[in-house]
This record gives sequence, structure tokens and C-alpha cells, in this order.
Amino acid sequence: MNALANGVGDIVRFENVGMRYRLGAEVLHDVSFSLPAGSFHFLTGPSGAGKSSLMRLMYLAHRPSRGSISMFGRDVSTVPRTELAALRRRIGVVFQDFRLIDHLSALDNVALPLRVAGAKEGQIRNHVAELLKWVGLESQIDDKPTTLSGGEQQRVAIARAVIARPQILLADEPTGNVDDDIAIRLMYLLEELNKIGTTVVVATHNESLIERFKHPCFHVEDGLLSGPGVGVRNDRDPGGDQ
Amino acid sequence: MIGQVRDVPLSGDPASRYLPWTVGLLVFLATLAFAAGMFLASAGDTWRQDLSGTLTVQIPVSDKADRLEQVNAVAELLRTTPGVVFVRPIPDAEIAVLLEPWLGKQVLELELPMPDLIDVSVARAADIDIAALSARLAQVAPGTVVDDHAIWLRRLTEFTLIAETISFAVMIVILISAVATVVFTTRTGLAIHSDVVEVLHLIGAQDSYVARQFQNHTLRLASAGAAVGFLLGAGIIWLAHVYGGKLSGGLLPELALGPGQWALLAALPVAAVLLVVLTVGITVKRVLGKMM
Ligand SMILES: Nc1ncnc2c1ncn2[C@@H]1O[C@H](COP(=O)(O)OP(=O)(O)OP(=O)(O)O)[C@@H](O)[C@H]1O
Ligand SMILES: [Mg+2]
Repeated sequence: MNALANGVGDIVRFENVGMRYRLGAEVLHDVSFSLPAGSFHFLTGPSGAGKSSLMRLMYLAHRPSRGSISMFGRDVSTVPRTELAALRRRIGVVFQDFRLIDHLSALDNVALPLRVAGAKEGQIRNHVAELLKWVGLESQIDDKPTTLSGGEQQRVAIARAVIARPQILLADEPTGNVDDDIAIRLMYLLEELNKIGTTVVVATHNESLIERFKHPCFHVEDGLLSGPGVGVRNDRDPGGDQ
Repeated sequence: MIGQVRDVPLSGDPASRYLPWTVGLLVFLATLAFAAGMFLASAGDTWRQDLSGTLTVQIPVSDKADRLEQVNAVAELLRTTPGVVFVRPIPDAEIAVLLEPWLGKQVLELELPMPDLIDVSVARAADIDIAALSARLAQVAPGTVVDDHAIWLRRLTEFTLIAETISFAVMIVILISAVATVVFTTRTGLAIHSDVVEVLHLIGAQDSYVARQFQNHTLRLASAGAAVGFLLGAGIIWLAHVYGGKLSGGLLPELALGPGQWALLAALPVAAVLLVVLTVGITVKRVLGKMM
């Protein structure tokens, strides 16, 4: 179909994207790739390579300094500000540093995307409690993030990212603070979301996860992206410090 | 209640703690300035109405004999002057009442020599040449003076107009400082909670959602401050009415506001709070506008 050939079926499409922070040097150069709807990708690369920066572009936190980005088939540079908020609601993000709100309980943190989207309060609590139970935090529902362990915070962050059923889930090191058992459990959660149609990108250093869950893998190094559909396929790089 | 959850924890901010006090003080001052302006406006109106063309002609004390004749001659001359619409010699009894505060109740019995006064009304439009009129009257009755209260009344009304303008200007300056204070508090709040604000933004909150968080907070604090500030101001105005009336002894119009003016005054704190809340919304949206 012509539409697919044009990349309309792609949820994310980058063309020759460059990125810099303020007036600094470029941290990403000539990044071109696309993610078909419903795909599952890993994103690897050494520390400081630009994984989180690439994520930032995808969750619409940052404008590219050159090139073009399309999300859900829309050229981001032409989307009016008010509609950007609506686009962001279709994107779930697990931030590398969680970014939970300290004065809100786990429940209220997870409820945020629903509130922001204007969901009715009556529907929020049960829905959120159910998801927190799913990630194994049913007894910490009313706890503040500061009283949770790193791994528990990470699970709250994941729950918050998926609560509103995003079309694409961007998880930046979502298993960085948990032991392998929980990491695998969380990966199964992400896979389950993927099975019901969510496009997933997981940035990770965890080689065993990449090996266990056989998904295509992008690699960033020195601000350059390689991977499926990006020039020569670069099967996973040992990545050094694992 | 979950419905009461505030995503941005503004209540603990130092700037927030002072907001009710600042808004309260500013509303207090604005209330006084507004009341002063409205009072001066109505005093000015009263005086302006009085000014609508009255003159007093004063004929100096003279012999009893030709007194009546002189008064009549002057009155006649006045009646034939173009622009004069009403002439009335003031009876001695009325003059006695006017002098009473100074000379006591026995004025008439004292048989003091008293000047004759004639009340004259002039058409507003007719610009009577007071000097020429005086000269002509003096020919009939030497020493006759035309007392034009218009001059000092006009100065008085000009003065009240200036004072009224200053009062309203002061009120507006006060409201502007309230706006400036709130812009500062809001910007501080946004800076302190930039992490939370950014998360809300990235999760897909519209600017108006984030703005509402700040606006609800400000609404509560500013309403409390404005209510107290207004009640204090209104209390002082009421005291001024009660005690000020005794002090001025009739020289000034009554220090009181009409029901309509009280209603306007009561609208002031409400308007101030709305202004402040609107300012918060605009400030938040401006700052957020810089994010992608
Ligand atoms: N907010 C920022 N301002 C300026 N430079 C930044 C900022 N964030 C990241 N950088 C720079 O951009 C480059 C890429 O950083 P990025 O966080 O994307 O790497 P990463 O691949 O996610 O690393 P890690 O695996 O450690 O998370 C680095 O050189 C970093 O110093
Ligand atoms: Mg990173």
C-alpha cells in the first residue's frame, strides 16, 4: 500500500536529525530511522552516547536542531503547541531518573497522566490500584516515592508510563535499579503491552535482557545511530562496561 | 479526597506565605484610595451644583433712612442686568441666622449695624462681568461689593477633581504592584517546582492545566488576604464617617458613601482577586510557552 511505502504506518520517523543542547556541540548527528507501529526495539550504546537524548526527541521534550521528526505520521515542527500536549498523551515515558513527584503518593503519581487527560476521579483509583498491584506494589499504594526503594520507584515510574495506554512506550533504563527477576517481570509487562499494539523502545545496558528477549536493537555511539534499517545492521555491541 | 490533590506543592513556598499579607495590605490601601476618590467625586459634584451661578451682593451699613431705598435701587438695577434670573434681598432675620455662630443668638437684639445682602442667581450660560457690575452698583450705592463665591468654589472643585484623580491613580498603582508581586511569586514558584512542572508538561498536560494548579493556589491565598484587607479598610471608612462627621462640623459634605458606592467598593477586592488570578494564569502560560 502506498501509505505504508510513505512511512505513514510508522509511529516514529526521523530524517537526518541533529540535536544539540542550547548552543553546545551536536550530541546526535544525521539520525534517520523509523519505527513501525507495534514494533519492539532495544536501544543500546555506551554511557553518554546519546540514548536519553534520542528519547527526549521522541517524547517531544526537545526540538531537533536540524532534520525532521514525524510522530504518528505528523511532522512535529508543524504541530501547534496545544496539539503537542495531545500528542504527548499518546506517548508513555519511563524517565531514566524516574521523575516521580515526591509529595504525591504512588497512587497519585501513577494517576497523573489520567488526571492530566481529564479522566473522571471515580474511574481513576481502581484502575491505578489494579496496575500498582500488577507491578507488585499493592501494599505501597499510599507511600511517597522518597520512602520507596529504587526498584519500587522504578516500578511506579513504569506504571505511570503505561496507565493511560500510550501508543508508544519509551523506557529509558527501566530495569536499571532492579534485580534480574524483577527486570524480567517488568520486561514481560512491556511485552504484554507490545502484544496489544503498543510500540515499545527500551534503552538499556543490560546485555542479558537483550539476549533473552530477542528484539531488534538500535545502537548509538558518538551521536551516530546504527541498527535495523539504518545502513549496515549492527548486531549488538558488547558495549564495554557491563 | 483524591479530587483535592494538588500536583504542584506550592503551599510550602516562602513566597506563598507572604502572598496573603501582601495582597491583604494592597487591597486595604486600594480600598482607602478608592473610597477617598469616590468621596471626593461626590463632594465635588455637590459643590459644583452650588456653583451653578449664585452671587451675593453686599451693601455696606448706612443710615436707616435711605437704606430701603438703596436696597431697592440696587435690586432693580440687578433685575435689569442681562443674565440675572433671580434677585432676592435677604431679610435681617436670615442674616442673623448666618451670623449666629459668630455673634450669638442675640444678634438682632444687639441692634448692630448690619450690611444688607442680596441673593442673586445668574443663568449658568451668562458670563457676567463681575467687575463691571460692581462698578455700576457702586454708583447707586457706594461701597457695594459683589461677592462671587464661584471663584473659591471653582478652586475648591478644581482641587477636589485633582485630589480625586490622584486617589484613583493611587488605587491603580496599588493594583499594579499587586500584579507585580504576583508575577514575582508565580515565577518563583515555577522555578522552585520546575521539575514537577516539567513532568506535568511531558506527560501531556496542557498549559492551562498547569496554570490552574497555580491559579487555585493563588485564589485561596489572595481571597483570604483580600477579604481581611477589605474589611479593615471598610472599618476605617466607617469610623471616618462616624467621627469625621463630628469633626468637620458641617463645613465638609458628610463623610459617607452611598449604597452604590459601597457596592463598587465591595467589588474592589473581588476585582483585585480576579486580576491577580488572571495574572497568574498569564505568567504561567508565558513561562511554559518557552518549553517545546
Ligand atoms: N541537559 C543537558 N545539557 C547539556 N548536555 C547534555 C544534557 N543532557 C545530556 N547532555 C550531553 O549529551 C550527551 C548525550 O547524553 P545522553 O544523556 O543522551 O547519553 P546516554 O546515552 O543516555 O547516557 P547514559 O547511558 O549514561 O544514560 C552527553 O555528552 C551529555 O553530556
Ligand atoms: Mg541516558
